[in-house]
Amino acid sequence: MPAIPVDMVIPIFTGGASSRLEADVPAKFKAGDSVVARNINPSGHTRLPRYLRGKNGTIEKDHGVFGLPDTMAHDGGESAQHVYSVRFSAQSVWGDNASPRDSFYVDMWDDYLDPA
Amino acid sequence: MNGIHDLGGMHGMGPVNPETDEPVFHEEWERRMFAVLMATFANGIYNVDEFRHTVEKMPAAEYLSTSYYEHWLHSLEKVMIEKGQFNQADLEAAWSSVSSAEEIA
Repeated sequence: MPAIPVDMVIPIFTGGASSRLEADVPAKFKAGDSVVARNINPSGHTRLPRYLRGKNGTIEKDHGVFGLPDTMAHDGGESAQHVYSVRFSAQSVWGDNASPRDSFYVDMWDDYLDPA
Repeated sequence: MNGIHDLGGMHGMGPVNPETDEPVFHEEWERRMFAVLMATFANGIYNVDEFRHTVEKMPAAEYLSTSYYEHWLHSLEKVMIEKGQFNQADLEAAWSSVSSAEEIA
């Protein structure tokens, strides 16, 4: 990856930077779709938490296109793909120990999801 | 990887106790750790995902018994060696010089 030009360093650290990619990649899902998180257990890097693997959720929002950490961490390229906010009900993950009123939202890459 | 970093849903970790008026840095060396990491990051030597993975690969007991910025230091050392910026002998030589100093911070 290229070095950040000197005059951009302070603005990035004070204002933040986006890792969004401009690539034109089709989305596999849209808001409202039912999905299931894949049961993957790679020895390398992933941002798919263990507690969500095999769990059902609903696409809440399409964030756009980003690089995939699973390949980015291993010199495997950006694997540009859509990232979604996915809603999981607390009970779908933690069963009756969780409140039926609670849900949480996790950002998930296309490669982490299958249609449910 | 299924490492200790991925501890969502585990019991036995104790309560989360946010500090009141928590400072950005608790020690002066943490401020320097932040600066050093950002300087190497800005130079494009590695990316944030490589950085995170080296934290994940810390031995579980060490991961749980060290602080946030100690994780950064661990990761920075590993990733810089992996990228050929320096080698283990360089690192140990540097450590031996600072460990003899009266004041590291």
